Parts: sequence; structure tokens; C-alpha cells
Amino acid sequence: MFFDLNVKGSSLDNNINLAIEASKYGWNHINFSYNQNDFKNALEFKQDLKDNLDDKIMFDYTLEIKSNNINEIRKLARKFRNKSSCISVVGGDLKVNRAVVENIQIDILSRPYLKRFDGGLNHVLAKEAVKNNVAVEVCFNDILKSYLSYRSKVISNFKDIYTLYRKFDFPLVLSTGAESSFDLRTTHDFISVFKQTGLNDFEIEKSFKTAENIMESNKNRENMILKGVRRVVDET
Amino acid sequence: MKLKVLPPTLRKNNRYLTVEIKISSPITKDDLVTIVWDACIRFQGEANTANFNLWVMKFFEMDENEDYYCYKAIVRCQRDFVEDVRSALALANKYNNSRIAMTTIGLSGTIKSSQKFI
Repeated sequence: MFFDLNVKGSSLDNNINLAIEASKYGWNHINFSYNQNDFKNALEFKQDLKDNLDDKIMFDYTLEIKSNNINEIRKLARKFRNKSSCISVVGGDLKVNRAVVENIQIDILSRPYLKRFDGGLNHVLAKEAVKNNVAVEVCFNDILKSYLSYRSKVISNFKDIYTLYRKFDFPLVLSTGAESSFDLRTTHDFISVFKQTGLNDFEIEKSFKTAENIMESNKNRENMILKGVRRVVDET
Repeated sequence: MKLKVLPPTLRKNNRYLTVEIKISSPITKDDLVTIVWDACIRFQGEANTANFNLWVMKFFEMDENEDYYCYKAIVRCQRDFVEDVRSALALANKYNNSRIAMTTIGLSGTIKSSQKFI
């Protein structure tokens, strides 16, 4: 199953076009991401979107929190936890990266390398990400939209993240970050780009599985009492 | 004088990529050749691109809508470098200040069979 948890959401028509294009290119599930200001408005046309895309592709919404204020991030994560199937926070700031990997309510730390000269992660953050099951997202759009030396630096940042990923085995998620149909590629192309950056087939497959697991576990989140303890309905 | 054709064991093995191109302004086949070579040289470098044995075999104009013009093409590359060419083409982003998106929609061993993806 090919999961993409970060396709930039916009109006209803644009979302439909993007989803149809994505299904044509082999994606099975996409998540439209909205920031904290637009998320509520987007929920209003979710049902219309569902009616239009019923048999074509599976979709859901991601809340993408963009803030440098740690307290605001915590507050927003708590507020939207039950309304959103996936919460990601845009990283880049070291304090934000640290606060996100320490917060069990957040699913994804998106682009920890953003506007930085390094990967934005170290062994301490990697261990925290494993402990709190926070996935780290690397975005295809960052390679696509950059060129020459800047593109090399982005790929170099990816490689730093992969090194930590191989040692600490935190959840890693790959996403397109597509804003329009110009940013969408077939799943095969997507995989071959990430292969060129240094991941192998198994790791790429695992990243799609991780994305699927995030969506699955969030469906059962209300039954989760503690980490590893889940309320089950006794059907016998 | 024409060179004698190489025996099959000495020939290069080719693969044919069927590529879908979306671009915000119209292009010709010559433009596509430039785009393909630029994309490969930019992402893989001059030394690696020398191995690819690149050639734009066929170029088709498809439909157009208000956002973009759509074209399809068959691009030849060497068998062992398909992944490298694919990734380089996927990362083409701009051509003459127009937005462009290239994605490989099919891969086959002959031109004839690659035409089924058109």
C-alpha cells in the first residue's frame, strides 16, 4: 500500500483533482494536510470530498502545526487530537524538534532539517522519537523544489537522518508534500528518487508501512489506555 | 562507409521509458531532448550520464487543459541505469521559467510494447 501523509490541502475542487491524479499514479491513500487555522474549515467539506472520491482513493486529513512556540504546539496537539487522524509538526527549530519528539500525542515530526545546515536530529532526539513513537518525515518536495548546491545540502541532510534511523530505528515516513499536480509523481518514481538518496527497498517499504500503522493506531486511539494497553470488546 | 552492425552479444541492452510530461507552456521534441539531458546531467552529473545511452525515440502531443499541456514520449536508456534515469527525470522542475512535471508511466524492453502505455 502506498501511503502519502502530506499532500497540501486547499479547496474542494483542487483536492478532488489532486486525489484523482494521485490515484492515477498509483497512490492508495493520501492525507490532505492543513495548518491549525484552516483545519476547521476543511472539516466542513470532508463529507463532500468523501462522496466524490469514494471509489477512487482513500483519503484523510492531517493537522500540520506550524509554530515556534512550544506551549502552543502542546495546546494545539491536545485540542485537535480527537478530531484529526494524524498530527504533524513542522520542525526546523531545535527547540521545536525536541518538544515534538518528547510529545506522545504527536504522530510526526515533519522536516526537522528545514532551513538548517544539518539534519536537525541527533542521537538524543532519535532516542526520544523511538520512546514516544514519533515518526520523522522527509519530504520529496524539498528535493524537487531546490536545485544545485541547495539540493545537495538537502540530500546530505536526508543522509544524516538515515544514519540515525539505521542505528536507532525510529519510525521514518516519506511523503510527497505535493501542492499541485505538478508535484505529483508515480510511486515508482518516488521510490527511485529515495533510492538515489541512500535508502534501500526494504527501508522504503517499511516507511509506507509506518505511515499505514500511524493511521491504523489513530483509529483505535480512544481505546488506548496506556502505551501497549488497549481496551478490546469481548465478542465471545 | 557505414560501420558493420555489432553482433547481439556486443550490443547494449536498452529499456524504453514511457514518460508523461506536463508543462505550463507548449514544447517541441527538441525542447524535450534538452529537458531530458539537462535533468540527467544536473542530478546524476556528466560522468554518470555518459553511461545512460539516452535518446528520445518518439514524442506525442496529448490533451491540454487550462493548467498545463500534456505530452507523452518514449525515452531510451541503458538497462542497468533505469532507476538513475527515472529519478533524474522525476526531479525536473522548471524549463524556461515554465513549470514542468515528468513522470515515468511505463517501462518495457521494446518500442512496440512501450507504445501500449501511450
